[in-house]
Amino acid sequence: MNHNDTTTDDDERLDQIFAALANRTRRAILDRLAAGPATVKELAEPFAMSLPAVSKHIRVLEGAGLIEQGRDAQYRPCSLQVGPLREIDRWTERYRPIWEDRFSRLDDYLGRLTADDGAPDGHQPKRRTQRSDDE
Amino acid sequence: MSEDAVVIERTFDAPIEMVWQAWTDGEHFAKWYGPQGFTIPVANMDAQVGGSRHICMASPDGSMKMWFTGEYRTVDATSLLVYTEAMSDEDGNVLSPADMGMPDDHPMITEVTVQLTADGDGKTRMVMTHAGIPADSPGASGWAMAFDKLTAHLAAA
Repeated sequence: MNHNDTTTDDDERLDQIFAALANRTRRAILDRLAAGPATVKELAEPFAMSLPAVSKHIRVLEGAGLIEQGRDAQYRPCSLQVGPLREIDRWTERYRPIWEDRFSRLDDYLGRLTADDGAPDGHQPKRRTQRSDDE
Repeated sequence: MSEDAVVIERTFDAPIEMVWQAWTDGEHFAKWYGPQGFTIPVANMDAQVGGSRHICMASPDGSMKMWFTGEYRTVDATSLLVYTEAMSDEDGNVLSPADMGMPDDHPMITEVTVQLTADGDGKTRMVMTHAGIPADSPGASGWAMAFDKLTAHLAAA
């Protein structure tokens, strides 16, 4: 595994993003914001929870960079930020080269097995294409 | 936005039974799974539904060891294999969110799905899917769906 190749900063960012997303209310808030900016009061409406409780969720989302809260207007509307979601895309993409690499080795290993036909040593030339029923 | 899983298709010049064995038999699995130069000193794989897996990867000089644990969800020889994977300690305990510096109570678990089809001429086609799912979240699949929905929204925006 190439876990150790990634920087700690990246990992910490991703931990923060995943932690923020691992909550039903926060995902619902993001879902609502995907339709356009909204105030904290508007975001709180569908939930049976207090404004401070909703504000807490908003701070978590803001901390993960998933949303931004305006500073100028009195109502400070929240809006969605797509950057962190792209980082998650990159997180999944990090696994692709690891798997590609593994499957190249699996290919080689299977090649040796079929060529050897059970022989213990794997250094004989491959003869997969001319493998016949010589048993 | 792209998918939230890695999907890789590959055709191997080997019979399907052999590819299945390479995935489900620890002795064979250890021969190819580790990164270049790494060894797999431990590959305990009880490949049956509900069976556990415990894998150790050691760096080339043996100084660093990483442990992984998981459970087999689907074992349908020789066509479909589904198992979970999470980083763990030597005893197979999943690393807690605190160990990983996460404030939430949802350890990160991933799920690997391997589909095999015999392709004639002794070849085997494989489709491997590796998906990330935060375990124990209220419906891990619901999480994935919510994420899909969100990304669809974003793509349309």
